[in-house]
Amino acid sequence: MSGLLIILAAFFLPLFPASLVFNRLAAGTTNPFARLALFIVWPQIGVALILWGDLAPAGTVLATWATLSAIFYAFRMLTVREVGRWAAMLASSAWPLVWLFVMQGPTAADLIAFTLAMTVAPVLMLLVRDALARRLEAAYTGLHGGLARDLPRLSGVIAVVTLAAMALPLFPGFFALLSVLSGATLGVALGILVTWLLWSWAGARLLQGTIFGPRSGPIADDLPRSTTWLVAGLVVMMVAAGLIWTGGAV
Amino acid sequence: MIELQWLIPLLPFLAALLVHLLGGRMGKRVARLSVGINLLVVVVAAFQLTAYIAGDTGPQWMGLANGWGSLQLDPLSAIMALVVSGISLVVHIYSVRYMIEEPGYGRFFMLLDVMTGSILLMVMAGDLITLLIAWHLIGVVLYFLLAHNTEPPTAQRYAFWTFITYRLGDLPLVLAAVILFQAYGVLDFPTLFERIAEMPDVRTFMDLPVTGTVAFLVALSAFAKSAQFPLHTWLPYTMEGPTPVSALMHAGIVNAGGIIINRFAPVFVHSGEILHLLFVVGLVTALIGSVLMLTQNDIKKSLGYSTMGQMGFMIMETGAGAFALAIFHLIAHGLFKGTMFLGAGNVIGAARKHDGVPNDPLYDFLVERKSAPARLPWLIIGAVTLIVPLVILVMAHAWVAEDFFQKQGAIVLLFFGWITGVQVLFATHRLDSENPVRMMALIILSFALIVVGYSFVGHSFETFLYPDEVFRNALYHAAGIDAVTFDMLVILLALIVVLGWMGAYLTNVRRQRIDEGHGNARLTLYSLFSREFYVADVYDRMTVTLLDFSKRLNVWLKWS
Repeated sequence: MSGLLIILAAFFLPLFPASLVFNRLAAGTTNPFARLALFIVWPQIGVALILWGDLAPAGTVLATWATLSAIFYAFRMLTVREVGRWAAMLASSAWPLVWLFVMQGPTAADLIAFTLAMTVAPVLMLLVRDALARRLEAAYTGLHGGLARDLPRLSGVIAVVTLAAMALPLFPGFFALLSVLSGATLGVALGILVTWLLWSWAGARLLQGTIFGPRSGPIADDLPRSTTWLVAGLVVMMVAAGLIWTGGAV
Repeated sequence: MIELQWLIPLLPFLAALLVHLLGGRMGKRVARLSVGINLLVVVVAAFQLTAYIAGDTGPQWMGLANGWGSLQLDPLSAIMALVVSGISLVVHIYSVRYMIEEPGYGRFFMLLDVMTGSILLMVMAGDLITLLIAWHLIGVVLYFLLAHNTEPPTAQRYAFWTFITYRLGDLPLVLAAVILFQAYGVLDFPTLFERIAEMPDVRTFMDLPVTGTVAFLVALSAFAKSAQFPLHTWLPYTMEGPTPVSALMHAGIVNAGGIIINRFAPVFVHSGEILHLLFVVGLVTALIGSVLMLTQNDIKKSLGYSTMGQMGFMIMETGAGAFALAIFHLIAHGLFKGTMFLGAGNVIGAARKHDGVPNDPLYDFLVERKSAPARLPWLIIGAVTLIVPLVILVMAHAWVAEDFFQKQGAIVLLFFGWITGVQVLFATHRLDSENPVRMMALIILSFALIVVGYSFVGHSFETFLYPDEVFRNALYHAAGIDAVTFDMLVILLALIVVLGWMGAYLTNVRRQRIDEGHGNARLTLYSLFSREFYVADVYDRMTVTLLDFSKRLNVWLKWS
């Protein structure tokens, strides 16, 4: 029973090749709200399965599988240009780390919080995707670059969200990674660090393909001031939540 | 007193926030706000250092919570806070006019303030997590500062090189922090270092010693941040960024490696092998940086490689056990390199008016009616060049510490001091002068003053940073090697150096063309230098291969 539940949960806290299902589903969902809901709810179903089945997965095979899945999708993010798919691959790279956290025997609240911390950046990136698609007809990096010159507010939001995707301080992903690293073995720790590095590389490529470089593409309106403040408030709230969650101690 | 310490990193972050919020209303005047707050930071840092020296309270620590979010006040943090805030203030003042016509004026000052705050947080961090936060932030903010001019592709390309190298350097420090936390169960530095001193032989993954493993990881981190070979390629190429950023980077940010090694001195004292590694990597970096500096025809790139060489010396000093000297070196280097960068524009402007190429002596003699330059006999100058610097150095060091001959690290540094002195006198001999005796005497006097001053200040500085003599000696002892091997190495190096000088002298006397004799070998060497040993090309090829593989995987899996 527990084996079956683990296999089922591997679709929701996606481990390759089960992760193909989530990525196809994310690519096929065109409604922005439905996509947001998918990104928020999907991993929590996996968490719910683990909590419901009182699963205590352990063992080198599962840890290796989760680590390799995370690295695999982080590596593939390097050459993804469509921002929506980029967000889905980020999620497919971040959510396998939940398995590694589960192996450390956290409380239910900590497990849910960790999963949310790993979900924040992909969800924010979906918002960026919609903002880009609405203004530039398509949300492709490298297609219409140099946004920093004409659209400073949108560029600022893209930069902040990308930093969150790279799990840099003080975003929740940073503390979540430190949490999982604090109980990791050497192999798993090295795998997580490689994943982290690849996120940074992919994030820098995303920035270079959107906000930096010579301006090209159609003329577009910048993000309204009120929306920018809203996003800023959302980010501050998430940072604060992350800090409260870590409670000043790992 | 420790409560005031919080103001030092927090004020620049506050300045950044105010610059961002008030930028629209205040326009260009927002820079003055930033300068004003940074001036306040310098005043607080100077007060804290003075109070620390006068108060005799010893190191202090204060945390916000029971885990992380803490600062400490100790000699290293007090002195570095003043240096960093001082250099940052100069860069701020310089930027007020220099950046006035650049787009994103307010953004530049905001980023400069965040960078200042991050470096200050790094030097004063009281626990592992706070240190990691600051360590990560430095790389990220530097990326945005270097890419401040958002359009030129080259600026973006080299900003990315810097960013990814810094990220490579961030991650070993994360692993080091994880290992320390797993082994000792604490985050704050005072308790952590106490436990390390009590239990230095704790083992970690694969039964490796914690201290050795952590020292190795910290060293890797320092190599990336301080541009050690082969992680140096980003440094000379970041000149596309604004000049004030270059100044701040070369005077402050790149020194992070030396600071972090000093911060973890209680770990390195148990890791002799890693100190040897630091010495070798530093030496190789110093050599390569200096060689590449000489082959550049771009003043800023040449300064970049010069910094690489200096960073090599700094890391080498830590490898010789002279931790305090490395800090003294990075402060001195930061001050003079910052000045050079901020003055580079004036030098370029002056070169446009006058090329600086000296006249032919025959022209001076016939047209300018100047007497022909005279040279001292080479045998005399050879003896003076080799012996005088050694005598001055030995006497100066014996004056500040009688037992310095017992420390291998001190002898290594003496050796390099001797080489530098000889180079200076040799260069003086080659200068055209009407009165070569007077000029040589003045140069020897200046050299003696510098060495005596440096030895005295350096010794006082070491006593200030590491007041515990037992610990100081333990660092030198950990860096030591077998006496016979050490002596053989010193003799071998001395022979290589002397042979090099003889070769240079003979080449100069014979006026031999570069492509004569060993022409092909020399040209091959020169092409290696001009391509900077192909290190950047190798990285470029690796990047292309990896990206191609990633693309193929995505196509194969239909981007799912």
